[in-house]
Amino acid sequence: MSERDVTQDLRIPWEEDPGELYEHAPCGYLTTLPDGTIIKVNETFLSWTGYRRSDLIGRRRFRDLLSSGGQIYHETHYAPLLSMQDDVQEVAFDVVCADGRRLPTLVNSILGRDPAGLPRVIRTTVLNATERRGYEQELLAARRAAESSEKRVRALQQIVADLAAAPTEAEVAEVVVRAPGPAFGAASSSIWLADPDRDLLVAVVGTDPAIGGDDIPRGSTRAVAEVARRGDLQVIDSLVEAEAHFCELAATMRQAGRNTVVLLPLTMQVGDSGVTEVRGVLGFSFTDPRELTDSELRVVRLLGQQAGHALDRARLYDEARRREARATFLAETTRQLEETQRLMARARCLVDRVVPEVAEWAAVRLQVGPAGLLADAGGPPPDAERLAAQVAAVTASGEPQFAAPGGPDAGCAVLPLTARGRVLGTLALRTQVAKRTPADTVFLEDLADRAGLALENARLYEQERAIARTLQRSLLAGDMPTDPRFVVETHYQAAAQDLEVGGDWFDAFMITEDKLALVVGDVVGRGIDAATTMGQLRSAVRALASAEAGPAKLLTRLDRFIERVESARMATVGYAEIDLGTSVMTYACAGHLPPLLHEPATAPRYLLEGRSAPLGSRAGRRERVEHRMRLLPGSRLLLYTDGLIERRTRPIDRGFEVLAREWARRRDSPMPGITAGLADILVGREPPDDVCLLCLTLGTEERLERSIGADPMQIALLRKDLRGWLVTHGVDEETAHAVLLGCSEAVANAIEHGYRDDPFGQVEVAATVSPEAVEIRVADHGLWRPAGTDAARGRGLQLIRQVMDHVVLDRSAGTTVTMRRTRREATVSES
Amino acid sequence: MTQSGDQVSFSKLGKADLVRLAGEIDLANAPAIGRQIVAHVTEAGAVLIDLTAVSFLDSAGVRLLDALVGDLDDHGTAIRLVVGEGGAARMTLQLCAFRDDLLATDLQRAADELDG
Repeated sequence: MSERDVTQDLRIPWEEDPGELYEHAPCGYLTTLPDGTIIKVNETFLSWTGYRRSDLIGRRRFRDLLSSGGQIYHETHYAPLLSMQDDVQEVAFDVVCADGRRLPTLVNSILGRDPAGLPRVIRTTVLNATERRGYEQELLAARRAAESSEKRVRALQQIVADLAAAPTEAEVAEVVVRAPGPAFGAASSSIWLADPDRDLLVAVVGTDPAIGGDDIPRGSTRAVAEVARRGDLQVIDSLVEAEAHFCELAATMRQAGRNTVVLLPLTMQVGDSGVTEVRGVLGFSFTDPRELTDSELRVVRLLGQQAGHALDRARLYDEARRREARATFLAETTRQLEETQRLMARARCLVDRVVPEVAEWAAVRLQVGPAGLLADAGGPPPDAERLAAQVAAVTASGEPQFAAPGGPDAGCAVLPLTARGRVLGTLALRTQVAKRTPADTVFLEDLADRAGLALENARLYEQERAIARTLQRSLLAGDMPTDPRFVVETHYQAAAQDLEVGGDWFDAFMITEDKLALVVGDVVGRGIDAATTMGQLRSAVRALASAEAGPAKLLTRLDRFIERVESARMATVGYAEIDLGTSVMTYACAGHLPPLLHEPATAPRYLLEGRSAPLGSRAGRRERVEHRMRLLPGSRLLLYTDGLIERRTRPIDRGFEVLAREWARRRDSPMPGITAGLADILVGREPPDDVCLLCLTLGTEERLERSIGADPMQIALLRKDLRGWLVTHGVDEETAHAVLLGCSEAVANAIEHGYRDDPFGQVEVAATVSPEAVEIRVADHGLWRPAGTDAARGRGLQLIRQVMDHVVLDRSAGTTVTMRRTRREATVSES
Repeated sequence: MTQSGDQVSFSKLGKADLVRLAGEIDLANAPAIGRQIVAHVTEAGAVLIDLTAVSFLDSAGVRLLDALVGDLDDHGTAIRLVVGEGGAARMTLQLCAFRDDLLATDLQRAADELDG
């Protein structure tokens, strides 16, 4: 205290003692040595801290008076700063008072140096910062509170925004269960949604170990159920409290290491009545004991209300959406079922609609036919035995059966397919979720009702279709007359699409021994009516045809018949009578397409005479006319129905042209298969409409040509043709036997040896007859194998040589055997 | 197509097994007919094969009959092939030069010969 610096700036009216000023200044003064040892202290400092002067002077360093944190700060900041810049401003230190109290201070220090620049003394002023510190701390606490509240508010705002964007219950639940973490610092959370249909709290998301994540019946004694029933927020903030009220919860809390659990009902106010409904429960837990402030509790409750509203909205949305989706599904299913007529196709369509959209497995069983009918999709199927028992029970009772949830085959249902009070079959299915609401049940029953009707209609259609087909077949299958003087070949091809049978028909019969009648007709309409009418007309034609009448009279009589059989009105008929003795043909067309005639050595032509209106026509020309003409031997006549030439993509004129051209191309084709081949080329294998053809060849073939597959079974058919051909040419029996044997052996050789390795090979056979001899050529394109050791083959060739007079073998391309047999009459007359 | 079942029938005539063949016998059905005959007559003391109703017989049929005769001869079983006075079967068998002692024209006489 040797140095005292007094500045006299202003003279004041009273004497002020500088010592007094120093001692009682409004701040504390300390003078210390560079090492901090206090050498001078004023009264103000002593009175603030409660130290005696003798306690400090020469005994304590300034830093000894600081709190431990202050001492560290003194060491690391204060001292280095002071020695570097010679002064330190407004450093906050807590000074530890004599009684241990802490005095918040602000400290300024100046370092004084000697003339050599070495530190000599430190002068320090100490300001009392008690008030200021308190204010600062208050400010800090207020800010912390505001911040945490803001954080909660922000979290809540985010949740509300997320809830607004969540359209379904599941999504709402997802948002709500995520909230307690950011908003309150909860460790984990779970959410349950109320299922009023089943009086159950369904665990949706979250697996809070303290509260659980399983479904809880509403009547349960568990805390979650209790909260759901009461609708009040429940905070269990200690294990002790948990033990007092919910033993089970206390156990899980202890197990999970949780000390606080909050159970929040998610509520929805119903109308203005003030009644609230609990839509679910949100549970969350904290590791530490956590006391929720009033403002936090307000926020928690707010969350419960917001979530309750969002759930309510989502439930309505879910329901509306589900209802809409199901209505759309049912409508679309009905529409798709009606797209196809056939029963199996409809059953198939039904299961394919149901899987996977409604169920993961579905099977339709129909009691149709002896074996029944089954269409299934998806899998795996449920236990077969249980299912069979259920199907039997449902079929007998007509009542649906739903497997109990949790039991075997959970999610399975067997529904009766009924129509007109009769159980047609069953629809069995298994849905993905085992839980089924009354709405689900209604939906499934609705589906089964619609399907039942659609399937019953298909069954009736199928039945009628089968009857019509049978009827039509039985009418068309009648034996064609056989006579050496002509050959008749017919072909009927049903439309490719699942169309009902048409009313096309053909017929050929002998009116007298020498008079052949040919008919091709077409009844308007399709289905069983058309087939029945066709049968009636066919019988009528047979009954009304007579040796004397002729085509025009027959048509007139048919017109009268139509007056009694209305369904036959406007049927078209092409009719021809051929006198086999004179080769005179009389024909008439009642609205029918003109017959096509191909005479030897001329182009085919359509026969356009003898035309009049369809049967029973009121607008058309009803006077029945006929046309008479003589047919050359070898003429070919074709009668057909419009399905052969009418195509949507081709004008009918073009159809006529194509038919005439193809018919001409087949001038020399063998009769068997000629009509099928013609239909094939004109309308293909799957014609859009029924096709009916009848072809007549008058007189016999001069030259027999056949191409047969490399199949031993074909040889007998060839012999049949050949035998008939030989007979019509008046070849004697012995020659005929010889030719048949020779030809058979040659063809057998070709099949057995030439085509040993080629089952698709073709054998060409051509036969000509002259008054002197019969000549046959049999050719194959297979490999020639020398007879050699093959005794069987040798015997075949030997037989040929024995029965035929002249045999030539040509092996240049495949094998061609040319054989000739002199007719016996010829040899007799020659000799 | 007729099945071989319609074409083969078996009965007894005297001591002999009687096999009646009918229709056309060719490459397509001869093997099946052969199997049927072999299955029926293995234990027989004598065999009569009636070919009078056969309308066609080709070399495959001949092969079948030839094998049958060979087997029965080896077993010491007597056999007769009954063919008509004319007809397809007789023609083919004669062309193939079957032994005269094998061929018979009358069924009953052939049966009596075998019995005696």
